[in-house]
Amino acid sequence: MRAIIEVICAKGLPKRDIHNANRVNLLTLLWASTMLLGTVIIELELPLGDAIFTAVLLLHVTISIMMLLAFKRFITELDELEKKVQLDALAIAVGVAIIVFSSGSILANAALVPELKPWLLIIIIAVTYMIGIIKGRLAYR
Amino acid sequence: MNNRLKELRAQRRWTQADLADKLAVSRQTVNAIEKGKYDPSLPLAFKLARLFDCPIESIFQEETLEPIR
Repeated sequence: MRAIIEVICAKGLPKRDIHNANRVNLLTLLWASTMLLGTVIIELELPLGDAIFTAVLLLHVTISIMMLLAFKRFITELDELEKKVQLDALAIAVGVAIIVFSSGSILANAALVPELKPWLLIIIIAVTYMIGIIKGRLAYR
Repeated sequence: MNNRLKELRAQRRWTQADLADKLAVSRQTVNAIEKGKYDPSLPLAFKLARLFDCPIESIFQEETLEPIR
């Protein structure tokens, strides 16, 4: 358990990587917040008007693009071992998401399971990405 | 890939963290290279050779030399 906590904390990374990771984390938080805000406006049918809804949508798209660019910079400048760990974890996350969604869509077409929701894709990628990072960091300890 | 990184580092009385600082990589990267769990990129291998002032092949050796056809 202690080993897992140590690899999650990822101590010993160069300051440049920690700075880049903090930027990605902050933008991810903002991205999730604007997504939540947009969902709340729709779900609660808040009478805010089209202009405010469009502004929230544009803010979400802008933050999404900033998050994407920050993540690209984070990966490009990352310590080379950590980069390998992160890219391996990303490959696993994308692979698992494709398998789950392709199998899920076949089952949904056969009316055996309900249609898979898009938020499930984000959760699958996030969870498998985290598991992949922990597995990779443990392997190279 | 075998390497003499630990030996060369010990000769200079550097810790893994010292070497990591000089190479601008994480301590985990130095540790993984020393243990033979990770082979460094060519730029990092050249950087190591420059730092220890010796040729790359005197730091890193192939485990088994297979004939090239």
